Amino acid sequence: MEMFLTVLGALNVGFVQTLKLFVTTLLGALPLGLVISFGSMSSFKPLRCLTRFFVWVIRGTPLMLQLIVIYYGPGTITGRSPWPAGEAGRFLAAAIMFIINYSCYFSEIYRGGIQSVPVGQQEAGLVLGLTRRQIFFKVTLLQMVKRIVPPMSNEIITLVKDTSLARIISFQEVIWAGQAFMKTSHGYSGLVWPLFFTGIYYLIFSGLMTLLLGALEKKLDYFR
Amino acid sequence: MALLEVSHIEKHFGQTKVLSDISFSLDQGQSLAIIGSSGSGKTTLLRCLNFLETPTSGTISVGGAVIFDAAQPAAQREEELRQKRLHFGLVFQSFNLFPQYTALQNVTLALHLRDEKGARREEIDRAGMELLEKMGLADRAAHYPHQLSGGQQQRVAIARALALKPDVLCFDEPTSALDPELTGEVLKVIRALGQQHTTMIIVTHEMAFARDVADQVIFMDGGVIVEQGPAREVIEAPREERTRQFLAHYAET
Ligand SMILES: Nc1ncnc2c1ncn2[C@@H]1O[C@H](COP(=O)(O)OP(=O)(O)OP(=O)(O)O)[C@@H](O)[C@H]1O
Ligand SMILES: [Mg+2]
Repeated sequence: MEMFLTVLGALNVGFVQTLKLFVTTLLGALPLGLVISFGSMSSFKPLRCLTRFFVWVIRGTPLMLQLIVIYYGPGTITGRSPWPAGEAGRFLAAAIMFIINYSCYFSEIYRGGIQSVPVGQQEAGLVLGLTRRQIFFKVTLLQMVKRIVPPMSNEIITLVKDTSLARIISFQEVIWAGQAFMKTSHGYSGLVWPLFFTGIYYLIFSGLMTLLLGALEKKLDYFR
Repeated sequence: MALLEVSHIEKHFGQTKVLSDISFSLDQGQSLAIIGSSGSGKTTLLRCLNFLETPTSGTISVGGAVIFDAAQPAAQREEELRQKRLHFGLVFQSFNLFPQYTALQNVTLALHLRDEKGARREEIDRAGMELLEKMGLADRAAHYPHQLSGGQQQRVAIARALALKPDVLCFDEPTSALDPELTGEVLKVIRALGQQHTTMIIVTHEMAFARDVADQVIFMDGGVIVEQGPAREVIEAPREERTRQFLAHYAET
């Protein structure tokens, strides 16, 4: 029992780091994704091409590789790592890479959402003398949100699990905390089950997110 | 004096000329039907009147004042067009109701947005209800568009356009997206508007309706006005060979 509580305590510490990365990524990537989606729909061709090229590179390579590159890359080239020492630096590097990576995925979802609202909606607003701003906020936005909630839910659930990739640069999230017991941690050695046990954390958390996003989807069910 | 005066409107999309030398006038309380085959530019003309498209040349006057002159791009800024657009209303072929708002909210949205302080809120809702009643939809006020039939949706769209009290109300084939058994209820509403002397421009493929409801008819082909005149004359005794062919083709189908 005492062992169980000790392990639980250690895993909780790791899971708080997982949550920190998850929330930071969402806070950064939700708005940045919108900016990128506007770039990828820009009528200025060079900007549009550049944005789409960038999105292709980020979506076309593994996030794990991107984490390694952003964390170790600059140091290998210049001989001096730009990241702060220790856990703070690892968190910063991971958060930046996660935000960039996820905003690229989000941008494509936003783009699909914006483009799927028929132009007739905007034209109806114009004919009624609404301003562009009013049309966006009072007419288009909610229809767009409704359309992007299901694909966004998918990405968000994926993000819950993807946070574990940050372990590759030794960010001490929940899997790292679980794995530590296989060697030695908190006075215990050779424990395998704490690693397996981390699965419960992911299940509970992604279950909560599914409920939350499902409720949002349901709330927008009153119109089509 | 004519309420609406359209002179020498021309519209190009890149190299293609879609409208050329369109001129007509319309008196207060009169209705004008525009007929013509597919691709003749009818929709484009209505979109020009509502400034969803900018005419390449020509002028548009309402009540004697020039509200659009293609030669003066300075007067075509977004904000000014937005005000001038309000002289016209437009009912779309595909309704384009806002799905997240109820029938009543669709009708009153624009007015509520203009009533920033909310001082006229109840008055606006009452006016909206009256319009829905006029459309025979009083019991559907709280329904969302997807809960309404096509004919009901189009009547909500008509009420929405009327709510802004436009000088000229335009209809772009208001019944062609509807099942045949639903066209009647929409045509009836438009007919009633005509009897109340609403100034209207109606693009339609319903020849009998055009003949009975409109005062004037314009027949367009290939972006030009081929013939215009009193409704009964143009539809029952057209002067131009092309009009005759078009109408004969319609009589067959
Ligand atoms: N945005 C656009 N860009 C280029 N060409 C266009 C555009 N809009 C319309 N056109 C062209 O202009 C012509 C007139 O189109 P319009 O929609 O005004 O015809 P219409 O008389 O309303 O036809 P219908 O009876 O099928 O509705 C067509 O040849 C069409 O292809
Ligand atoms: Mg048309």
